[in-house]
Amino acid sequence: MVDIKETLDVRGEVCPYPDVKSKRKVKKMNSGEVLQILVDYPLSAERIPETMKSLGHELISVEKKGDAEWEILVKIK
Amino acid sequence: MELELFLLMLIPGLIVGFIFGFILQRGRFCMNSAFRDIILLKEYKLVKGVALAIGVQMIGFSILILAGAVTQNPKPFTVFGNIIGGFVFGIGMVLAAGCASGTTYRVGEGMVGSFVALIGLGLGAYMTKSGILSSTSTALKTTITDGDGNNLTVAGVATPIVMLIIGIVILGVFVYFHLLPALKSRKEAKESILDFSDMKTKIFKKSYPWWVAGTAIGILNCVAWLSSAAAGRNYPLGITSGWLGWLNFSVTADEAALNWLLFMVAGVILGAFIAALISKEFKLRIPKQGKTLLIQFAGGLIMGFGAVTAAGCNIGNLLSGVPMLSVGSIVTSAFIILGCWLMAYLLFMREKE
Repeated sequence: MVDIKETLDVRGEVCPYPDVKSKRKVKKMNSGEVLQILVDYPLSAERIPETMKSLGHELISVEKKGDAEWEILVKIK
Repeated sequence: MELELFLLMLIPGLIVGFIFGFILQRGRFCMNSAFRDIILLKEYKLVKGVALAIGVQMIGFSILILAGAVTQNPKPFTVFGNIIGGFVFGIGMVLAAGCASGTTYRVGEGMVGSFVALIGLGLGAYMTKSGILSSTSTALKTTITDGDGNNLTVAGVATPIVMLIIGIVILGVFVYFHLLPALKSRKEAKESILDFSDMKTKIFKKSYPWWVAGTAIGILNCVAWLSSAAAGRNYPLGITSGWLGWLNFSVTADEAALNWLLFMVAGVILGAFIAALISKEFKLRIPKQGKTLLIQFAGGLIMGFGAVTAAGCNIGNLLSGVPMLSVGSIVTSAFIILGCWLMAYLLFMREKE
């Protein structure tokens, strides 16, 4: 069981706010903490994990929760 | 209208549009994202897809022209019409959260904000084409043609040959820098080079890699030109004129407003809808904040003005016009990208904290 520190709900946000808000959020978090991102925009659901990996954070999981709904878990480096 | 001509518009238009919408949705192929992400996320996949589509079309279009299947029909160079129209379009697409094609396919995914932006796009285009903005738009245009009065292309009479050469170079770059290294790494990993297993999942459930979407759209646009020409419209894919046509037809009931493109754009929404439904990505989504809807509507209006002033949106000018080496389309495309970058910088890249 992952200990989720914070949740960022960007469902209903339009392109590219899910990406921009996720990037801003992880900047403010501390090393080792886990961020849960909830997103309903397909392009961002694929792009956020890529961005997080390229920023050096650990991608724990990307899970499809339902129709056009994804949960992304990221551990801050 | 004769029934035969109507059916030539209706059925092939819908089919091409359906496939286009399907690929756009599965490939997440939006040019607003493609250009914006170059500076915002340093992400180049989508823009590589756009470049590959243009390369494939340069080869396909030049073969169609040289074989006499279609005649060259580059868009005009109108100097400030292209510069200002393109720049304004680029600004508008960031506000609308999608280019003309991106906005259209997202309607099929159930994004209400894109639906609102699309209404804005049609209205803005209509106001600019035949309404209160038409004098402003016309005043910006000073058409420059070659000596014989033809629309200006980069290479003049040699255009089809130059298109073919540039297309082959682009394809060569793709094969050398992407395809061969990819095949080599598959070989080293002892995977089979062509993997046709599980094609159903790959086509219907998974998103398409940039090079699949780019190649597929490039090939589709060649078929689109043939199909459109057969129905009396000698041009490959476009988007904005299609929505403008629907608005025109619904307001005036004038049959002359109907053409192949109208059914094509309707097909895009249908194709994206079915693609999203199959992959379980369809959901009615409404922006959290009401003001987002207003911004997207304004973005659509602005895109409509830009597209009519530049004689084409990101599809008519950038995807279909650049491969024909139209000077107008190339200038418009450059300014679409600059407008997109300016707005993306202002909205997303200045740190607010």
